[in-house]
Amino acid sequence: MSGYTTHELMAAVIAREVLDGETVAVGTLAPVPACGVLLAHLSHAPQARVVILNHPDYWPFRGGSKEFYDFAQRGGFDLFFLSGGQIDRHGNLNLIGVGDPARPRVRFPGGAGAAMLYYVAGRVVVFRAEHSPKVFVPRVDTVTSPGSTPSDVRRRGGPSKVVTPLCTFRFDRDRRILVVTSLHPGVDRTELARRTGFPPEYEPTITVTPEPTPNELTLLRTRVREAVAKTYPRYAEHAFGR
Amino acid sequence: MPVPGHVGSDYDRIRPEFRVIQNPFTPDERVMLVPAIRPDIALVHALAAAADGTLLLDHMEDDALLAQASRVVIASAERIVPVEDLRKAPEGTVLEGIHVTGVVEIPGGAHPTLVRGAYEADAKHLEEYVAAARDDATFAEYLARHVYGRGGP
Repeated sequence: MSGYTTHELMAAVIAREVLDGETVAVGTLAPVPACGVLLAHLSHAPQARVVILNHPDYWPFRGGSKEFYDFAQRGGFDLFFLSGGQIDRHGNLNLIGVGDPARPRVRFPGGAGAAMLYYVAGRVVVFRAEHSPKVFVPRVDTVTSPGSTPSDVRRRGGPSKVVTPLCTFRFDRDRRILVVTSLHPGVDRTELARRTGFPPEYEPTITVTPEPTPNELTLLRTRVREAVAKTYPRYAEHAFGR
Repeated sequence: MPVPGHVGSDYDRIRPEFRVIQNPFTPDERVMLVPAIRPDIALVHALAAAADGTLLLDHMEDDALLAQASRVVIASAERIVPVEDLRKAPEGTVLEGIHVTGVVEIPGGAHPTLVRGAYEADAKHLEEYVAAARDDATFAEYLARHVYGRGGP
């Protein structure tokens, strides 16, 4: 048994995506990226400007979410995070529901905000705390946020990575597909294939994801946990090791 | 109004009121337009309000925008205070009374959700709500107990 939780590993992976000096934002229902961004801010990215929706200490706007969206549309965010009820190999996200969107069998939270942010943020890291064939599907039922777009649509950014409990994918812009760039410790290709709804493609230079360092774990379990609890009190109770 | 992104997704199929046009400023680009939402009635809860309808709102919420978009705006408030006190308040956003139709004082009026700086969300009550909302019969019971009843929360 390893000395860290899956959430801690994912937070450490996400933290490494944050560069010092960047303006980085985390939206709603996103505790894992919130932990990752705070970890980065408290370690290698002290000059990052951090925005966390619904967090009293990380919300530098006075005009509600309108000001946040206006700032995003102006190209203010270098890095943003999205998730999907379904995610496919082309980096498409479905945040509407399973099945016919008019009569969904399962309803997701809605994707109009993500349909904009996927284009206007410099890079988007997609995260999902569940890696299963139900989530990682060959083709999403409805594309609310496309991984790539026709050339006559203005798009500043798009998907850069997808972080799950099993692996990290990189989005290959030329081939318009997700490619596994690292497998998390203890995960092999057989398990990944079994738990992914499409045959995963692998980077030739595939690596094992580095584990969180002792220093990262200490920060996660103290200052990050404390800060995240202000927005996600329940999450802070169960996501961290002791 | 124009919204960046969206074009290339399925939104033009699932939301027929969204339109895609050639961008008049850069004609080689397509852009999505969405109709403005114009609510008939908005209900907002203020940190404090004055008798003339001026509201002190949580700056992290979208209540001011909602009120400005709506035809009728009914505000509940934790307390009614003189308007000068609202303008001196160190926290919150002031919304002018011209946007507001009526004000009513309801201390604790955001329950079971929170008012930042005053009280926390009532997690136990929210769990009860989630459980009750699973079917019509239990939800009717919930409404009878907490909304139509006189027992209070």
